[in-house]
Amino acid sequence: MILRLATQAMGTRFELVLGGEHARHLRAAGEAALYEIEECHRRFSLFGRDSLLSLINREAARRWVQLDAEAFSLFELCAKVAAASQGAFDPSVAPLMREFGFHPELPPGEPAEPSPVGWQHVELDPERQAIRFHRPHMSLDLGAVAKGHGLDLAAQVLREEGISCALLQGGSSTVLALGSPPGLSAWRVALAPTPGAPIACLKNAALSVSAPTGRQLELEGQVLGHVMDPITGRPWAGKTRRAAVLATDAGRADAWSTAMLVRGPDLVPPQGIQALLASGSDDALCWQLNKACPTQSFGSRFLVPPNQKQESA
Amino acid sequence: MKDTDRRSFLKGMAGAGAAAISIRPRLEDLHLAAALGAEVKVAIIGTGRQGRAILGQLAKFENVKVLAVCDVDDRRLRSSLRRVPGAKAYPDHKKLLDEVKGLDAVIVATPTHQHRECALDALDRGLHVYCECPLAHRIEEAQAIAAAARKSRQVFQTGMQGRSNPIYKLARSFVRSGAIGDMVSLGAQWHKKTSWRTPAGDPAREKALNWRLDPELSTGLFGEFGTQQMDVLHWFLGQYPNSARGRGAVLGWKDGRKVHDTIHAELSFPKGLEVSYEATLCNSYQGQHELLVGTLGTVKLAWTAGWMFKEADAPTQGWEVYANRQQFHNDEGITLIADATKLAEAGKLEAGVGLPHPPLYYSLAAFLKSIDENQPALCSAEEGLRAAVVGILAHKAVTSGKEQVIDPELFNPK
Repeated sequence: MILRLATQAMGTRFELVLGGEHARHLRAAGEAALYEIEECHRRFSLFGRDSLLSLINREAARRWVQLDAEAFSLFELCAKVAAASQGAFDPSVAPLMREFGFHPELPPGEPAEPSPVGWQHVELDPERQAIRFHRPHMSLDLGAVAKGHGLDLAAQVLREEGISCALLQGGSSTVLALGSPPGLSAWRVALAPTPGAPIACLKNAALSVSAPTGRQLELEGQVLGHVMDPITGRPWAGKTRRAAVLATDAGRADAWSTAMLVRGPDLVPPQGIQALLASGSDDALCWQLNKACPTQSFGSRFLVPPNQKQESA
Repeated sequence: MKDTDRRSFLKGMAGAGAAAISIRPRLEDLHLAAALGAEVKVAIIGTGRQGRAILGQLAKFENVKVLAVCDVDDRRLRSSLRRVPGAKAYPDHKKLLDEVKGLDAVIVATPTHQHRECALDALDRGLHVYCECPLAHRIEEAQAIAAAARKSRQVFQTGMQGRSNPIYKLARSFVRSGAIGDMVSLGAQWHKKTSWRTPAGDPAREKALNWRLDPELSTGLFGEFGTQQMDVLHWFLGQYPNSARGRGAVLGWKDGRKVHDTIHAELSFPKGLEVSYEATLCNSYQGQHELLVGTLGTVKLAWTAGWMFKEADAPTQGWEVYANRQQFHNDEGITLIADATKLAEAGKLEAGVGLPHPPLYYSLAAFLKSIDENQPALCSAEEGLRAAVVGILAHKAVTSGKEQVIDPELFNPK
C-alpha cells in the first residue's frame, strides 16, 4: 500500500510518500519522520525566537555557543560546502537578506562595517562542539540547507524503521528517494511541469533544484530573486535559471544547488555531486549537464531529452 | 503621552519592582546559560522524543556534562548518541546507576509507568532527580515518589514546565494582582493531529514503545497532557479541583485502539469555578493552550506565547501604550512579553514576541539552578503528586464516565 503524509514546516509543505505492507507501522514511521522535520524547523528557524539558530545569531558574536553533536554536524556540512564552492554557498548572507528586504518577518537590517558577511568569519570548534562569529552583527540563514537536512534526518528514521520505499520532498524543491517504487528501477522526478523537461531518476539519492523564483524584489528596474550572491553582496542576477543537483544526501544536494545556481557552469562540484543547469528564459529553458560531472553516479542520474543540448565529461 | 514621557514612565515602572502590576522582567530567568557554578554531571534515562529534546537543551549549558544515556530500545539509544556521542550508553538504568561514577543528577524521561522505579533508584543513590510529568500512572506510585523525595536531601523537580516559563510567570503576576478581575471560567485544550503511535515493527517493541495506547498503562490524553496544563491552573489559583467528570471516544483513529483519541472533561474547583478541558489526536486547531477568564479580561497562554484580552471597562495600565498587540478576529490581544522593559528600552519590542528558548529549557535551567544553589526545586515532587492525582482521576472519570471525587487526603506522600 501507499501512504501519504504531510506537515507544514520551514515556511513550506513537506510530504512523504511511503510504500509498505503494514498501514499502522507505515503511518507511525512516517509520523516519526515528519517529527524530525518539525524538530529541524524548531531548531533552525531564522524567525522563531526560541530556535537554536536564533540563539546562535543573538550570542555567537559575543561568546562561543555550545551545540549538540547533531546540530554541530549541520554547521560542519555548511563549512565544507562553503569552502568547496569557494563561497558560492554561504549561510552568513542573512544580514544582506534583511538589508534587501527578503525577510519582512524581521526588522529591516542596516549596512554594517566591517561587513558581517563571509563564512571565513565563522569559527567552529569540533573539540567543544561550539560556534562563534568573529564579527559583530553576523547572522546565519540556513534556508539553503535546512530543508535538505530535515529530509536526511527523516530518511534516517524511515531506514531505521525498515522502510525501504519512500519519496520525501520539501517545498517542491528538495526531494529524497529511498529505494524505488514497486516494479520500477528508480523514482522519476520531472524537473519542470512542462513536457520534455529533464527527468531525475533517483534511487537512494537526493535531488535539489534552485531557482531565482519565489520571493522577488525589484531593484533599479531589474526583478531579482531571493538568492543572494555572497561575493558581490547583492541578489544574484546571473544567466543560470535553474540548478538541479543530485547527491547521496539531501543536505548536500540542497546546499550545492544554491552554489551551482550562483556560480554557474564554471564551478566544479566535488565527487558525488552531479549538476544540471538551465539557461534561457523561464518558459524556454535550455538544460545542460555540468561539464565536469560524470553523467552517472551512485545509480541515480538525469535523463535529458535529446532535443536539449547535452555535454558530458 | 509623548514618547519621552512614555519611556520615563516605563523606566519608573521598571524601578518600582513592587508595583501592583509590573512588567519588570526577570532577566536571570531568561538567559541562564552560563550562570552555573560547579559542573553538573547528569544521566538521561529514557531517550525517546522527550529525552532527545532534553539533550538538545542541555547542550546549551556550559557546565553540564551528560555522562550517560539509557534506553531499553536500541534504536532510541542510538539516536540519542547522535546528539551526545561521548556519553556512555546503557539499556538498563540500574546498571547505569551502578557503573557511572561521579553523577550528580538523573533526568527521568521514560514511559510514565517506569518513573517510580527509576526515580526511586536514583534518589536511593543520593542523586538529584528531574522527573517528567506526569509523575506516575498510579496514585500510589506518585505518592511513593513524593515520599522518597521528601525523605531525601536532594533536589527533586517534577517537569511541569508552566512554573518556570517566563511568560507564564508574568501572566501569573497579572492574574494574581487582579488585572483580569474575579475569575469566572477556566479552560484548557490540547489539539494535535497524530496517531500517537510509535513505530515498533515487532510485538516486543510494540509493548515497550506504545504504552500510551495500552489501556493498562496509559493515563490517556488527560494524564499525559492535561496534568501539565492543570498544574498551571493550580499554580495560578493556589487551589486544586475537588471533582472531575468526563467522556471520551475513539472518533478519528479507528485502528483497533481502545485508548480514546478525543476527550472532554470538566473539573470543579471550590466556590463554583469550573475548568473545561478537551483534547484530541484528530485535529490540530489552536494547539495547546490554557484560558483564564475573568470579569475584567481573559488571559490565553500557549506555552511559547501569551496574550491578555481586556474588557472595555478594565482600567488601562501605563505600560499598555507600549504593548505589542495581535488581532484575533474581533478580539485584540496584548502580547505578554517576558523581557518587555529591556526590549522596549532598546526599541526592539516587536522582536520580543515569543520566548528566547523553548519552555523545556527554563524548566531544566530551574532544576540546575536549584542544584547549584542548594535550594528546593521550583516544582516539587509534592506538586507533581497533586497534579498526578488530579490527572489520574480525571482520566478515570473520562474512561468510566463516572464522576470522581478528588479527595485532598490523596495529596499526601506515602
